[in-house]
Amino acid sequence: MFTWKKLGKVFTPCGGTERPWLKEFAQAPSSLLFDDFVRIYFSCRPPADENGQYASRSAYVDLDRADLFKVKHVAKQPVLELGGPGEFDEFGTYPISVIRDAEVFRAYYAGWTRCESVPFNVAIGVAESDDGGETFRKLGRGPVLGFSPDEPFVISGPKIRHFEGRWHLWYIAGRKWKVVDGRPEPVYKIRMATSADGIHWERHNRDLIESRIEEDEAQASPDVFHANGTYHMFFCYRYSSHYRSHKHGYRIGYASSTNLTDWTRDDTKAGITVSEEGWDSEMVSYPHVFEVDGRIYMAYLGNQVGREGFGLAALDGDLK
Amino acid sequence: MNWRKLGRVFDPSEYTLPNGCKEYAQSPQALVFDDFVRIYFSTRALDPANNKFLSHIAFADFSKDLRNVIRVSDHTVIPLGGLGCFDEHGIFPMNVLRHNDMVLGYTCGWSRRVSVSVDTSIGLALSHDGGLTFERCGDGPVLTSSLKEPYLVGDGFVKVINDVFHMWYIFGTDWKSYAPGAAPDRTYKIGHAVSEDGVNWRKDEARRIIADRLGESESQALPTVCGIGGSHHMFFCYRQSFDFRANPDNAYRIGHAWSTDLENWTRDDSTPLLEGTPGDWDSDMQCYPHVFESEGNIYLLYNGNNFGRHGFGLAVLER
Repeated sequence: MFTWKKLGKVFTPCGGTERPWLKEFAQAPSSLLFDDFVRIYFSCRPPADENGQYASRSAYVDLDRADLFKVKHVAKQPVLELGGPGEFDEFGTYPISVIRDAEVFRAYYAGWTRCESVPFNVAIGVAESDDGGETFRKLGRGPVLGFSPDEPFVISGPKIRHFEGRWHLWYIAGRKWKVVDGRPEPVYKIRMATSADGIHWERHNRDLIESRIEEDEAQASPDVFHANGTYHMFFCYRYSSHYRSHKHGYRIGYASSTNLTDWTRDDTKAGITVSEEGWDSEMVSYPHVFEVDGRIYMAYLGNQVGREGFGLAALDGDLK
Repeated sequence: MNWRKLGRVFDPSEYTLPNGCKEYAQSPQALVFDDFVRIYFSTRALDPANNKFLSHIAFADFSKDLRNVIRVSDHTVIPLGGLGCFDEHGIFPMNVLRHNDMVLGYTCGWSRRVSVSVDTSIGLALSHDGGLTFERCGDGPVLTSSLKEPYLVGDGFVKVINDVFHMWYIFGTDWKSYAPGAAPDRTYKIGHAVSEDGVNWRKDEARRIIADRLGESESQALPTVCGIGGSHHMFFCYRQSFDFRANPDNAYRIGHAWSTDLENWTRDDSTPLLEGTPGDWDSDMQCYPHVFESEGNIYLLYNGNNFGRHGFGLAVLER
């Protein structure tokens, strides 16, 4: 089992009047290392509209590289515009994963639209930055990874990586909408695609992580980190029903692979779970593992899937 | 090219249709058998949840001279998609063709949206019983929105030419309100994709292969392609993107283009010139063409007024 030492909550969303779009939530953290700071992209929400619906935005916070609990800067505006009428990302951009490839900053993000019979649908878009990752312009008005015969809806949660000379995208794909107490709840599984250019993707078309707690287990945040000759995936999973609770809410799981495509799940190794009390006492979710100056960290969400922000844990020992 | 109109050949109000459908026989598509011609079409039921329409596929079998209806489908040809799927709220149209021992059905699936009325994608379904029933290949689409085609991918028409699957289809370019407070209207254009297996498609993404006649706000729909006299001929329908439902001046008409290389198309709407007689079933609108060959004749099926609410008619090429 890995030993993660919880360091506490590192960022609390509180946009105030300057940033009304950052009222609450700081979800799905993902890092990008700069010389003096670690930029953590996340997704947040303005106040809900008159129907109680949110339109998530994505932004970043720069943490001091020498002391990650020191916030140096918070984005002045969202990094991505919402899409126009009828476009896949008209009602939200969440989550976002940014990679620096040579001098190009490229973002993969999930765009949200609203539907009539189910509350939403999601597909993955791509954008690039001309200003060092502060804002991104979309490479098209449509998704770069949309729907397919085997992945019919809710293509979300992109995590972009460059391994072994190819682009790798881990993401989730909706399996079914399960009606619970009259309300459709999405069930999704972890999937992957690979690409030579990051634009044209070959899907692997199979579930990478076997379901453990129930057949309709929902899996999210497939975060892959390479260390000591092994690919380590931390992810989160939850029950399909009544998951906005301690009992059925998100927990963090773990799987490993040596070839990037075949994964062995072993949640007993994850080494991080809910606290007895405090901001992460009901659920832990959306893990992201990154290395800064020889130390390995995990950013993750606590109660209400990041409503009150995200925290950090540091690894004691090695990832092997 | 002279087309002789043979009049309306199917009026849905004269038949009992499956799935509780009443009225509408839209986008007729032919499958020719030895003894009869099966014509698939989309008809409509009311969704009990909200009184909105649900389009279902049905068919009518015609005598080879296309003058008599032998029977009308009395069963579900293809069920609609499940909760949250691209084809949950309707299939309109379905293009059919024989391939190996199967009949392939390329469906245009509809699902309702909130800020705009609908989105569409193209699915694939297979029939192993000669086209009586179809089973979809997966819950999702084979052709859908992509980086440069943001929404409303639909109306696929597939033809195998020299062992390559060709699909002509439409993709949305705009959702726009043309008057203050009005619901947004859509604009779409005709595109082209190819495939080796009919499942995995390569789009010529966002290339509008047919020149606009009415300008940027022209909507082009339902391409159908047929070889005539050594060239490829495409028929489609086109209209203004606004005020096209009630105003005959902005309503659908049949357009035409031809090509010798399947890459470059020359638009020429001077044929088929199906002008309607005032007061007749197709006086205000002609739309949703489908061209097919049977017994050495080339036929054009199409819908008339009200987008096919009152059935479909036929024209034959005179050579």
